[in-house]
Amino acid sequence: MNLRALRTLATAGALVALTVGMLPAKAATPADVLVVAQSIDDAVSFDPAEGYELTPFHTFNNVYQRLVQTNPTDGSKLEGGLAESWEQAADGKSITFKLKDGAKFASGNPVRPEDVVYSFVRATKLGKTPVFILQELGWKPENIESLVSKVDDSHVKVGWAADIGSNFALAILTAPIASVVDEKEVASHATGDDFGNAWLKTNSAGSGQFSIKAYQPHEALVLAANPTSPAGAPKVKSVIFKNVADASARRLLIEQGDADIARDLGADQIASLAGKPGIVVEATPSAQQDYVIINSANKDVPALGNPAFWEASRYLVDYDGIANKLLKGQYIVHQTFLPEGFPGAISENPFTLDPAKAKAILEKAGLKDVKFKLTVSNQPPFTDIAQSLQASFAQGGVTLEIEPVVASELYGKLRARNYEAAALYWFPDYFDANSNAAAFAYGRGDEGPHTVAWRAGWNIPEISDQTHAAVVEQDPAKRAALYGEIQREVQKSSPLVFILQAKDQIVLRDNVKGYVQGINADQVFFGQVEKH
Amino acid sequence: MLGFINWIASLLIGLLALLLVTFAFTHIASIDPVIRIVGDKASQATYDAKRAELGLDKPLPQQFLVYAGQVLRGDLGTSWSTGQPVASDLVRVFPATFELATVAIIIGGTLGVGLGLLAGLWPGGWRDSLVRVISLLGYSVPIFWLGLLSLLLFYARLHWFGGPGRQDVAFEFTTERRTGMVLIDTWLSGDMGAFRDAISHIALPALVLAFYSLAGISRLTRTAVLEELGKEYVVTARAKGAGQFRIIFRHVLPNIRASVITVVALSYAVLLEGAVFTETVFAWPGIGRYLTISMFAADVPAILGGTLVIGVCFIILNTLTDLIVGGLDPRLKP
Repeated sequence: MNLRALRTLATAGALVALTVGMLPAKAATPADVLVVAQSIDDAVSFDPAEGYELTPFHTFNNVYQRLVQTNPTDGSKLEGGLAESWEQAADGKSITFKLKDGAKFASGNPVRPEDVVYSFVRATKLGKTPVFILQELGWKPENIESLVSKVDDSHVKVGWAADIGSNFALAILTAPIASVVDEKEVASHATGDDFGNAWLKTNSAGSGQFSIKAYQPHEALVLAANPTSPAGAPKVKSVIFKNVADASARRLLIEQGDADIARDLGADQIASLAGKPGIVVEATPSAQQDYVIINSANKDVPALGNPAFWEASRYLVDYDGIANKLLKGQYIVHQTFLPEGFPGAISENPFTLDPAKAKAILEKAGLKDVKFKLTVSNQPPFTDIAQSLQASFAQGGVTLEIEPVVASELYGKLRARNYEAAALYWFPDYFDANSNAAAFAYGRGDEGPHTVAWRAGWNIPEISDQTHAAVVEQDPAKRAALYGEIQREVQKSSPLVFILQAKDQIVLRDNVKGYVQGINADQVFFGQVEKH
Repeated sequence: MLGFINWIASLLIGLLALLLVTFAFTHIASIDPVIRIVGDKASQATYDAKRAELGLDKPLPQQFLVYAGQVLRGDLGTSWSTGQPVASDLVRVFPATFELATVAIIIGGTLGVGLGLLAGLWPGGWRDSLVRVISLLGYSVPIFWLGLLSLLLFYARLHWFGGPGRQDVAFEFTTERRTGMVLIDTWLSGDMGAFRDAISHIALPALVLAFYSLAGISRLTRTAVLEELGKEYVVTARAKGAGQFRIIFRHVLPNIRASVITVVALSYAVLLEGAVFTETVFAWPGIGRYLTISMFAADVPAILGGTLVIGVCFIILNTLTDLIVGGLDPRLKP
C-alpha cells in the first residue's frame, strides 16, 4: 500500500470517527415513561365495542372501567369498578348498580347512568365482533333499550333476557365490551349511525387510569396518564407501546434498556436473557390453551368418527416432551378445557404418551393403518407441535400428514367443518367457566349454535344440558362442582385432546415495579407501575 | 403536446393493468380477510355483515369496477386492517420509506460509483479485489441477517447508533410531523438533540441498504470504466499527454454517466418499493412493512393503494431517468 492510499484511508477513518462522535450515546427510557416493545400490527380498533385483538385488549383495562371488574391480582375476585355497590332483583333477572359518587371520565365529564345505558345500547346495536359476549345475556338491538335503564341520577338497572344466573351476568359485565364510555364525548364524534365508532377506533373516551394520546398504526400507541381517574392516578405519566415486529430487535431493545418491557420473545431468546444483569423474566399463567380437534363428522376418514380413535389419540401425544423440551417452559401440560386459575378448573392430567396402550385400543376397535391430515397455522409453536404429534402418532401406527396454512384459512376450514383434524389455540372471552364450557361442552347438532363441539361434529345433548344447568346455577360451589363433572366427561369422551396451557413470559427491566398481569388476555394493568 | 397526451394515456393504462393484476393476485391467496377482522369466534351474522360491508359478497369483476371507480374519483378506500383511509395510511408510511431510500441511495450511489472507479482504474489489483469482495458480499449476504448483525454490533455492543425505530422514546412524539420525514421535521423543529437522534437511528438501516445497492452500482461502474478506458479516444488522449485525472473526469465519466444514472435510478426505485426485511428488523414504519402486513391480512384496498403508489414512483423515476439521460446524451432521447 503506498503513502497516498494510506492517507486516503486515514482521512476516511477520521470522517467516520467524526460522524460517530457527533452521534448521541444511547438514552435510557425516561423515568416517568413506560416503554413496552411488542408487535402492535394486530390492532384493528381500540373501540371497546369492537376491539378484539391482543393489543387493544392490553389497553382496555387501563383506559376504560366497567361497572364491575376482576381484581388485578386475583382474577377470581369480583369488585366494583364504576359501581360502588349492586343489588340483585328478587326474580334473578336484573341487577341495580349504584354508581360511585364523583366519578369522572378523562374528559372531565361526570359518569352518569345515561353513559352506562348508552354504552350497552351502543355495543349491542353496533354488533361488532365481540358482541356475541353480550348476546349471552340475551341482548339484541331490538330489546336492549328495554333491558338497561336509568333508575335515578346514581342508579342504573341492568337486566337480561337469557336464562342465566346473576353471577354469570356479572362475569359477562367484566368483559371489555361492557366498558363504560363517555356518551357526551363519543356522541359528539358520531357520524351517521356509527355511534362514534370511526373516531373511537383510534381515540378513547373512558375513565381508566390512562387515555389514548396518540396512535399511529403499525408504529406506536401512546397512553397518557389520567390523574382524575376514579381508579386513582397512575404512577407513570405515559405508556408507549412501540411496534417492534421482529423478536430479535425486541430482545436488543430490552437488553439495552431502550424498552422497559418486551413481549413475545422466543424460548431461546428468553433463555439467553434470563440471569442477565438488569433483566427480569416473569412467567404469568395465561388462559391460552392449545388443543387438537378431530372432525368426527368427516366422512372421508371414518376412523375420525370412532370414539376409540379419540381415546387412542390421548395416549399418542408426548405431553411432557412438547411442554418441557420442545417449548422450553413456555407451557404447562393441561388436559381439560378450563385453564388453571379459572373458577371451576380441575387440574387432573390423566394421560401420558403410551403408544402400546393406544395400539391396543385401536386394535380392539378394529382400526388399522389410520391416516389423517392435521391442519395447523403455519406459525410457531403450531408447526413444532404438529411435528411432535406426527412422530408420536407414528409410534401408535397412525400416519399424520401435516397441512400448514395461514391462520384465517384454518379458521375458515373449521367454520365450514372442512378439515380432518387441527391443532390450534383457544382463549376465553370473559372470566367465567361458561366462556369455555359453552364452546367445548355444548353441541346440539346443526340446530344449535356452531360451537367448537359442533365443529368437531360432536352432538352432545346431555352434556349440553349440564352446561346450561351450570350457567343458571347461583351457588358458586355447586357451579364449580358441575363444571368439574363436565370437564371430566369432555376429557374422557370427546374428540378434543387438550394438551397445553400457556405461560406468558414477559421480560422487564429490573427497575420496573408494580406491573400486574392476570390470566386473561385483557388483565394487563399499568396503573401501579413505577420505575426506581 | 401529442407526445404528452400519449404519455399520460400509456401511464393510465399501465396503472390500470397493474391494479388489475394485483387485484387478481390478492384473490388467489387463500386468506380470508373477514375472519382476519372479525376473528374466529364471531357469529355467522357478524361475519356475513362484515363481508357485505367490505363488498366481498359481490362478483369479483364488480368488486374491481367499484374499486377502479373509487380510485378515479381520488378515493383509495379504507384499509381493512388499520380501519383508516388508505390515502392517509400511505401519506404516513411513504415518507418514512422515501427518506430511508433517499439517504441510502445517496450513500450507496456515491460509494458505489467511487468503488467502481477504483476497481476500473486499477483492474486486477488489490483495489479491484477489495471492491469485488464488497460487491460479492452485497449480492450474497441476506439483508435480514446483515441488519440484525449490524444492530448487534453497532447498537448493542458499540453504542454508536440508535436502535430500532425512527427516534428514541425521549424524542418520539415531541416533534411536530410536518413532512413525515424525521430528519427534516426534527431539523425544522430546531431541536438539534432530536435531529442528532434521528440521524443515529436512520444511519444503520440506510448503511445496510446502501451496502446492498452499492454492490450493483460498483460492478456496473467498473465494467463501464474498463470499457471506456479501452476505447481509442482514451488512447488518443493519453498519447496527447492527458493526465489520469483529466482522462477520468473529462472523458470517461461524461461518457459513462448515462449508464450509471440508469443503474442508480433503478436501485433507487427498488429501495422505494420498500425494503421489507430492513424495515422489519429496524422497526421502520415504511411502505414495505405496510404492504407486507396488508398482504398477510388480504387487505385488498391497502395492497392496491400501496401498489399504485409504487407503480407511480416507478413510472416517474423511469421518466425522469429517460429525460436526464436524454439530456446528457441526445442519442438516447426518448
